[in-house]
Amino acid sequence: MSDFKDLIDADGLDPEEEARLRHVHELLVQAGPPPDLPPALEQAPDEQEAEIVQFPLLPHRRWAVAAVAAATLALLAFGGGYLTGHSKGQSSFNTSRVVPMHGSGEALALLRVSKADSAGNWPMQLEVTGLPEQPDPGAYYELWLTKNKQPVEQCGTFRVHSKTTRVRFTVPYSFKGIDGWVITKQTNGAATPGPVVLST
Amino acid sequence: MRLVTSDDELIQRAATGDRSAFEDLYRRYARPVFGLALRRLGDRGRAEDAVQETFASIWRSAGSYKPDRGPGAPWLYAVARNAIVDRARARTDIPAEIPDEPSHDAGPADQAEQGYVAWRIHRALEELPEREREVIGLAYWSGLSQSEVAEFLGIPLGTVKTRTRAALSRLGEIIGDDL
Repeated sequence: MSDFKDLIDADGLDPEEEARLRHVHELLVQAGPPPDLPPALEQAPDEQEAEIVQFPLLPHRRWAVAAVAAATLALLAFGGGYLTGHSKGQSSFNTSRVVPMHGSGEALALLRVSKADSAGNWPMQLEVTGLPEQPDPGAYYELWLTKNKQPVEQCGTFRVHSKTTRVRFTVPYSFKGIDGWVITKQTNGAATPGPVVLST
Repeated sequence: MRLVTSDDELIQRAATGDRSAFEDLYRRYARPVFGLALRRLGDRGRAEDAVQETFASIWRSAGSYKPDRGPGAPWLYAVARNAIVDRARARTDIPAEIPDEPSHDAGPADQAEQGYVAWRIHRALEELPEREREVIGLAYWSGLSQSEVAEFLGIPLGTVKTRTRAALSRLGEIIGDDL
């Protein structure tokens, strides 16, 4: 992370205001990053789910079970994640959180996750910069959800076509216990998932 | 002047069964509660359960909140902490061995203070406009320099710094004298 003086343009700041901003800066450093909220927690539990916790003999994890059931139905209906195309515009995408991804090289990615629809489909928009194009038509990249830092659910596949590539996916999974995303490089005929090139 | 509904008012409205107030509280506090639970429990699945239990408890006990006894944020923090402690007590896996070396982790008092700072900061971040929250996340926790953030977002470096400064100022207003 950059030094406070490098983060902002401090020209014209009076000492009192600078001290106030520096205090907030130090609190941000102390707090650390907010956790990625699991998609299973994106929406508030409804009243019935909130009330049911009062009764220890009733299913304690009903909310989570309902989410898994909905995701399973959606999974059957949709047959897994699919690529919905790519667009240069972002106006129709209602971002609820943004997740940066980076790797060892210059490549970067920004994953925007929207709220799920009523069936449990989670739209995502992935913007990738700096990943090399793959001349082999059988090669591509894959976006995966991770659990214990290991790829467990594929969100979709894509190829890069320019310096910045923007693609959209929709996945119907229950994300309970999911701790991040990775992008892997897939070569023709190799086992999947391939090596990780970007991660959260 | 900020026109955002206060936590106190939202809790009182939730106590009357106002669903939209409860959802606003959830939007503001789901991430701080999850962060607190992760720190305490160290397991994402159990932390998710703790979030569920916290908000179930808020929904049920909002009527017990008395604004004349203090603001809403500490009350919510106490409800969350109790739910998380209950979840921690419920764990069945006991460490097989007691370590010989003294722990270098922060003590309970320090942990509590750090937990509350993270709680308030993460709560305040939820109120930032998206473009300011995005810049703060990239500037502080992505490992990018401000020049790299500018290149990544496709905006001038000056705009990145201006947004960062505006975000810090806004966060300061939201936090007030609480920290």
